[in-house]
Amino acid sequence: MKRLYGVAATLILAIFAAISFFPIYMAFINSFKTQGEIFKSVLKLPTKLHFENYTGVFEQLDLFHSAWNTVLVTVIGLAGIVICGSLAGYKLARTPGKLSNFIFTLFLASMLVPFHSIMITLTKIAKGLHVQGSIYGLGLIYIGLGVNMAIFLYHGFVKTIPKELEEAARIDGCNDFQIFTKIIFPLLKPITATILILDILWLWNDFLLPLIMLTDVNNYTLMLSVNMLFGEYNSDWPKILSGLIITALPVVVFYAIFQKYILKGIADGAIK
Amino acid sequence: MPQLGKQSNQMAINQVQPKTSSKSTLSLKKQKGTLSLLLFVLPAFIFYFVFLLIPTVGAGFYSFTDWNALSQTFHFVGFSNYIEAFKDDPDFRHSFFFTLKYTAFMFVFQNVIALLLALFIETRVRTKGFFRTIFFMPNMLSLIISALMFSFIFSNVLPELSKKAIFHLLDQPWIGDAKVSFYSILIVSLWHGIGYMMVIYMAALQGVPSHLKEAAMIDGANPFQRLIHVTIPMIMHAITICAFLTLNGAFKVFDVVYALTAGGPGRSTQVMALNIYEEAFSNNFRYGYANAKAMILFLIVLVITLIQVKVLKKKEVEA
Repeated sequence: MKRLYGVAATLILAIFAAISFFPIYMAFINSFKTQGEIFKSVLKLPTKLHFENYTGVFEQLDLFHSAWNTVLVTVIGLAGIVICGSLAGYKLARTPGKLSNFIFTLFLASMLVPFHSIMITLTKIAKGLHVQGSIYGLGLIYIGLGVNMAIFLYHGFVKTIPKELEEAARIDGCNDFQIFTKIIFPLLKPITATILILDILWLWNDFLLPLIMLTDVNNYTLMLSVNMLFGEYNSDWPKILSGLIITALPVVVFYAIFQKYILKGIADGAIK
Repeated sequence: MPQLGKQSNQMAINQVQPKTSSKSTLSLKKQKGTLSLLLFVLPAFIFYFVFLLIPTVGAGFYSFTDWNALSQTFHFVGFSNYIEAFKDDPDFRHSFFFTLKYTAFMFVFQNVIALLLALFIETRVRTKGFFRTIFFMPNMLSLIISALMFSFIFSNVLPELSKKAIFHLLDQPWIGDAKVSFYSILIVSLWHGIGYMMVIYMAALQGVPSHLKEAAMIDGANPFQRLIHVTIPMIMHAITICAFLTLNGAFKVFDVVYALTAGGPGRSTQVMALNIYEEAFSNNFRYGYANAKAMILFLIVLVITLIQVKVLKKKEVEA
């Protein structure tokens, strides 16, 4: 009976896994075909691997450039979120009182605001500040949108660090800022890793904010370039699919390396 | 708890320092503390203030005006934008009900399938890691990439598959027909989202103490009874969280629809976020009116979240 249940469970999982993997497999094999081959059959394996689909798309859409743009946005956004978030989260957790509570509540409450509700006024402000259309400006906006979540997570984590460490450092003559950089920030490493992982995926894959902020093709992020595939190649599927595979590759590699941390980060982020 | 710590701290200070000066040093210390707090919070607050707080307040403010891209000035129009959105805007009303239907389907299917997969995977020993990797993989890809990949599946792969006898059901106008497109959007969303929920459920299942299940087994409970009476109650917390994560995310759905159907055919698959986007950026440029719609979306998400907080609080009291 138990054995039968085991076989059934594996079978069901295998079917779901096949369905889950099928679209990626299809995109992969067809990205190496010619249009003629796809027209004949999409299910068969390619007779010859046409790598020129990849090189063609890579050059024509200048994917290297948009990948670099995406890296810039992600690095600026992440650095800002971690630095600003840890400073504020730490101090808010350590300072009792009404003012501190009020500021923390303000940050916390803003987590309820859906991005779609503020996107119109945000574009106007970005225009007013002359950061609309700029890669660096986009990175800065992500700090403003993501810092509340980081403060929330840092705030919760700081509470688990014993205060005695800071008191000892203070007696040794450290000021508040030194205590933070030398003692606290290194201790925050686990939660910093969680925040980094959650936010890397958000910034890298985000679509709507770049869509309304960036107008110049030179500043496009990867996701905006992906969105151009259809317009560029109409229904030249081998080209579109190879474009999709290339742009998906960085996150797949990231996933392969950091899988353990990603899964842990998601579980921790949700249940805490 | 922190207050208690502070009190004992201050008592220690009082003992060390001469009584007469204790009051002034105390207030000095407090001032220094406030200054330090403000300095630490300032960098975060500046970004938050400019890019989140002002836009939020602004969205509320402009929702009561007739601001648009064409005129330089705007006037207050009271609630007329809101009234128009509810009464005279069939597209918006349609997008609301479409989003509601999408949310209901996601709520049920995403959670049920994710929980079932998590339960099955947890019973596997050797293949556990493999299946987890496969099921979570789609979630890594962006929704744009996923949706475009599925356009290929819907337009080329499924038509060919449907020619084989057992898959005859797959012969559908996946993207051209309004009714079928709803399910196409749902399929891509589920494909992308189930893995995420599954990971949360798996983490919760690992937290269920095995002695409880063993005790139930000794008492003669069959696997199904063990699931209903032991496992499910023990992971109720995770179920609540996933349920609300799904509700929250589904109401804000945008990317999938934008890339898969662009709201079409016509506006039949337009969701609320897309309707707001079009109103503000591609159709009429009526910013004031679009902001009113944006505030309606905000209020819906707010209500869902407030209910969530209440439900979770109640659970905590029981536990």
